Amino acid sequence: MRILSATAAALSLWALASHVAAAESPEHYPSRPVEFIVPWGAGGGSDQTGRELSKLLQAHFNVPFPIVNVPGGTGNAGMIKMLSAPADGYSVSLLAWDTFALLASRPPKWHMSDLVTLGIVIQLPSGFYVAEDSKFKSWADVEKAAKANPSGLKVAISGFGSPDDLTIRQLAKSGVSLKAVPYAEPGERYSALLGHHVDLLYSPIGNIGNFVSGKQMRPILFFGTEPIKGFEQIPNARDVGYDISLPQRRALVVKAGTPPDIIKKLSNSLSAVVATPEYAAFLKRELASPESYVPTEAASKLMESDLQAMKKMAGKK
Amino acid sequence: METIHLLFQGIVQIVTEGYLTMLLIGLIVGMAVSVMPGLGIVMGIVLALPFTYTMKIEPSIIMLTAIYMSGTYAGCFTAILYRIPGEPNDIPILWDGYQMSRNGKTSEALGWALISAFLGGIVSTTFMVGLAIPLGKLALQFSTADYFAAVFLGLTSVVSLAGSSINNAFIGLFVGLIISTVGVDSIYGSERFTFNLAILVNGIPYIAVLVGMYGFGEVLTRLGRKPVDFFSKSGPVKTNTRFPRWKDIWEIRGTFVRSTILGTLLGIVPGAGATVTSFIAYGMEKQYSKRRTQLGTGLPEGIVAPQIGSTASVAGHMVPLLTLGIPGSGATAIILAAFLLHGVQPGPLLLATAESRVTVYTIFASMFIAVIGMCLLSFPWIRVVVRVLSIPPAILAAIVIMFSLLGTYANRNSVTDMIIIVVFGALGYCFERFKFPISPLVLGVVLGPLAESSFMQTMISHDNNWMAFFDGPIRGTFMFLSLIALLFPLFRNMHKRSSFAHAEAIS
Repeated sequence: MRILSATAAALSLWALASHVAAAESPEHYPSRPVEFIVPWGAGGGSDQTGRELSKLLQAHFNVPFPIVNVPGGTGNAGMIKMLSAPADGYSVSLLAWDTFALLASRPPKWHMSDLVTLGIVIQLPSGFYVAEDSKFKSWADVEKAAKANPSGLKVAISGFGSPDDLTIRQLAKSGVSLKAVPYAEPGERYSALLGHHVDLLYSPIGNIGNFVSGKQMRPILFFGTEPIKGFEQIPNARDVGYDISLPQRRALVVKAGTPPDIIKKLSNSLSAVVATPEYAAFLKRELASPESYVPTEAASKLMESDLQAMKKMAGKK
Repeated sequence: METIHLLFQGIVQIVTEGYLTMLLIGLIVGMAVSVMPGLGIVMGIVLALPFTYTMKIEPSIIMLTAIYMSGTYAGCFTAILYRIPGEPNDIPILWDGYQMSRNGKTSEALGWALISAFLGGIVSTTFMVGLAIPLGKLALQFSTADYFAAVFLGLTSVVSLAGSSINNAFIGLFVGLIISTVGVDSIYGSERFTFNLAILVNGIPYIAVLVGMYGFGEVLTRLGRKPVDFFSKSGPVKTNTRFPRWKDIWEIRGTFVRSTILGTLLGIVPGAGATVTSFIAYGMEKQYSKRRTQLGTGLPEGIVAPQIGSTASVAGHMVPLLTLGIPGSGATAIILAAFLLHGVQPGPLLLATAESRVTVYTIFASMFIAVIGMCLLSFPWIRVVVRVLSIPPAILAAIVIMFSLLGTYANRNSVTDMIIIVVFGALGYCFERFKFPISPLVLGVVLGPLAESSFMQTMISHDNNWMAFFDGPIRGTFMFLSLIALLFPLFRNMHKRSSFAHAEAIS
């Protein structure tokens, strides 16, 4: 596969050279492979989303959408790679909210205005999990313990500045003070909870469905807006008095300055492929919200409001 | 009992599912890359990695592990026959192996290497398989403080065997640690040592450093030499293998026991790769074996110890990989990547469910078969080796450079990583030229990120109380061993000084 994608990259480079010489009309888009950047390593949640979309887009357009994994810097490396390519629609990237949240806390070298969102493609509720044999039976137990001993309970998060971190900070403002311990690798986070090195784990649900069904972990609080199917008895933060709902979202983006016709073509195709039964099955498998897809304009608005919310949580204007 | 049952289940799976083909391909690839000077085991595994994408998890890991296993062995052929170490871990082997060959005992030297690789592989794999489940259970107890202590031990133990200059080893290690901090830090996200250069923002991946310093640098070093030295013709070589007699093996049983235990144990400690193990095993013989004074003149001990150490370390390395998810060497780092590409996170969880336990034991079972297979393959392979080495040096160099660049590009799909390779290739050349040890620097680059993140995580979760690194049995033991490793060279130096004349006589 990697050889394939390398070959495809080489091919698109070659095509690029000829493209510069003779500008291509948007009607013929896409006439060559479209590089699909996943700014995370292979095998993770973003990668799985990317591969599903790449497969469907490929079938839709009848040109390959080779996945190019560019891990590093909380997704920054991949964004920079996409933004350094020409704005011709031949390089698309997945943008996870972990990366997007950087705009709120420590601005990276790119801005919201550098991107055009084709649509939000997946939304996963995040939540707190405890080990199956944890002494905490419900969120009320955790709340009590946290209030009795501020910063005494440890929670494993993915990193500082992430949506995880912002949520913990917001909770602290509401009087529930937890100590966030960053573990960059998902496996480390899970092991930390199972080995009782932390009391809680913050995670989007998709990644840890296996542990929950394997009776190793159980959810204790979600940060969503509505009950989650199969976990109706677990409260959302809003139900217990915290106005926090920051789900994990992933959007498909292209570089700003891409011809409007191509953007339109891409976003229309995206809305077609996410409506397929295959994609619905994928969302179900990931325990994602069935109505995950948000089309272009609405997605931009949602991103704007999420960014404002995150900036507020990060304590910045 | 469950272990044996699972193991047989694994063997059945290997045979019935047709994984034997992948195993055989892996063994051949491993042998091919390890006889090519400059093309390392790590590169062999990197090159094979893309082919595993479409395969199932078991055959993928079986193939990569087979490359790793046979890669620690086949490089001894070129070391014994031509005084060219195919892999860094073959360097100690050539000291006695080539001497033995020059004494007209080429067949015997090859025989000793074969028997060592076989015993080292089988015994250490058995040991590892027997203890994998307890180690897996122990693994969940591993806190970040324990990780840090283990990594710290990895850092110190290598410095203790720095060779001629402890100072240079420390300098190399610290330079390596600094290199590992370049880029965006994983905890707070601040940019360090990037000098506002786009090329540095995403960090310097240790694979690029490794390939640059060993692969690229080695090519430069070789091109700097006269072609005459590159392929010194040693006349027609007898290519048969003669097994040592039982009596001879029994005579140096101490070497066998010491090296196997050492190889397996060092394997479990992250950081000490086959190369380091090979050097320590040789060093240990130099201190404890009966005929230590004659070591270097073509003794079997000088072949047995580093070869057993190298091969035994493979099984040792699979323990932290499978039970903790910690890659202890460059090769296991890529095997870890292969696991992740298949959506499997090695670590405590891998042994937690019955289904994935079968996967693990299939991999274990394949390692036994790999050891046997690699020994059988060595007979025809030696004949091939003689021919491979007749590729003109210029063409070989071009091939090696091409593979280095391609392999690293594929790693992160990043062109800047190719520039990093060239820079580190030049640095590797300079190190080699000025006799500065490369391995401490590479070790620092490899272990640095792990050391830093586990240190920071521990400090954050223990309110900056550094006693957290000492107050448990696992971390306490590791820290104690680290202390010994740091002090040992001091004692050795004192001992050396007192018996300086004696040591002179040996070398």
